[in-house]
Amino acid sequence: MVSKTEETQLNRLENQVDNGGGGAWEYLCLARKLKVRRPEKVLKYGLSILNDSKKRSALGPEEWTLYEQVAIAAMDCQCLDVAKDCIKVLRKKFPESKRVGRLEGMLLEAKGLWGEAEKAYSSLSEDNPLDQVIHKRRVAMAKAQGNISAAIEWLNKYLEIFMADHDAWRELAEIYVSLQMYKQAAFCYEELILSQPTVPLYHLAYADVLYTLGGLENLQTAKKYYASTIDLTGGKNTRALLGICLCTSAIGQVQKAGTKKTRRVQSCSLWQQKPWRKITKRELMINMACLLVF
Amino acid sequence: MAEDLVLDTAIRDWVLIPLSVVMVLIGVLRYFVSKLMRSFQVPDPKIVKEGQVIVRARNLRAAANFIPPKSFRSRRVYFSNEENGLLFVPKGQAQNAQAQMFSDPNMAMDMMKKNLSMIIPQTLTFAWVNFFFSGFVAAKIPFPLTQRFRSMLQNGIDLSTVDVSYVSSRSWYFLNLFGLRGLFSLILGEENATDDTQRMMQMSGFGFDPSKSLSAEKDGLDIVQHEWALHNSQLCFSRADVGFHKQGKEASLAPSNVPQQVQASGLDSIGPRNETSFANTYAYAMLI
Repeated sequence: MVSKTEETQLNRLENQVDNGGGGAWEYLCLARKLKVRRPEKVLKYGLSILNDSKKRSALGPEEWTLYEQVAIAAMDCQCLDVAKDCIKVLRKKFPESKRVGRLEGMLLEAKGLWGEAEKAYSSLSEDNPLDQVIHKRRVAMAKAQGNISAAIEWLNKYLEIFMADHDAWRELAEIYVSLQMYKQAAFCYEELILSQPTVPLYHLAYADVLYTLGGLENLQTAKKYYASTIDLTGGKNTRALLGICLCTSAIGQVQKAGTKKTRRVQSCSLWQQKPWRKITKRELMINMACLLVF
Repeated sequence: MAEDLVLDTAIRDWVLIPLSVVMVLIGVLRYFVSKLMRSFQVPDPKIVKEGQVIVRARNLRAAANFIPPKSFRSRRVYFSNEENGLLFVPKGQAQNAQAQMFSDPNMAMDMMKKNLSMIIPQTLTFAWVNFFFSGFVAAKIPFPLTQRFRSMLQNGIDLSTVDVSYVSSRSWYFLNLFGLRGLFSLILGEENATDDTQRMMQMSGFGFDPSKSLSAEKDGLDIVQHEWALHNSQLCFSRADVGFHKQGKEASLAPSNVPQQVQASGLDSIGPRNETSFANTYAYAMLI
């Protein structure tokens, strides 16, 4: 995840370049390092550097990384001719390169030629079975074709080998949630929490999944995770606050339906509501609006 | 014994400086040669997977208190159970790893190349120094030394009455050997093959032994006691929520009112008294 300082730096550089004051190369380097997705800007400023032969030669060996970056951005923006040109230049310079082979596979993908892209990727992965990017491209291709189950299969295979890759776990969790396979999604979110326990997003998502699963134990656990999200964000996360209210009322309902009526749960729900009543009407309106938006 | 010897400045011009320059040049040469000779090592899938397993197990150990106890236990079983746990290495395989590393031809060649590229220039330079620059006092070390260093530092000088601070050029060679590392990282960038001292230290402890780290991780995981950190989080939250409103400067919310309200008014249903007070102290501690 991108840290706050890096984010501000990136925004600052973006503003600077947008308003015409140099620094395009630093912006491109930072975007590459942080792996953020800004295809139009990268394409615009990258092309402006590459088309100017003086600036291009000033880059030295970094020129080729810039070609790669611009090619990927062009594919993102569907400017396939630009991408083809960049890849041609790279192929001329590095004829036997696997990295360029990967780019060519991505170009086939961008054109929508799934069969040929699949062939290209399988031949590349035969030579190099441990290339993470090729595995990920396969997953992306399956997802783009709408074949979610194949995407899940590929992603599981990838995670069997590279199980410390938290981005992949995150992707898998989102896919499971979209397919309503909440138990598996909960497992993935647990992996994410294990690898990065201080990121409130994962606690929040995990609590959401648990709340959706339902059942008394899950609701109680979900409440705890909403609470930890509030802890981690200093109380600023409205979704978590509302989550707690919903959890408590859901627990109350389950309790009412069941035979055991633990007074503690009832009291907790009262406990929650009292502070809420103290909020001004305006805040309550805003909170409700947020709930509708989410 | 501490008579001051006057050393010829020609020594400085013709011994110390040329020796340093030669060592720097040899280091640069070695760096480029190693770059040319570097072979691309295909990573073994098994080793990569084991590395990732270790990272995952370590994460589990570190953040175990953030997931519910049931999931922790199921993960622990997944990692360390006897039949197909990820971290479980049957006894027979454990010793093979070292032998395998030696017999694997690629890895052996690689290690030999690295060692040779380090040993040969060192030996040659040392021989050259001994041949040309021995038999005279080269420098004076600014701090006094004991007599034990005499054999090491004054090798060419056969007078036993000379102060140990006066050293031969061999010691200058050793000084340069260990000291030029910083200079090389400035000139050549961070990754350079001239990190002899590091390599020498690494040679004693042998490389990557996956099975040992796996069993170490397994033992660590078996020891972990799971104590769910979030068990009390909802109690803390409720007070923190109050704190949140405190900061919001809500006029209607007098900070002292709410806790008393919660405690006193008919909310004996909160459970046994002592638990309430525990929750209060615990949560207020969290607020602060």
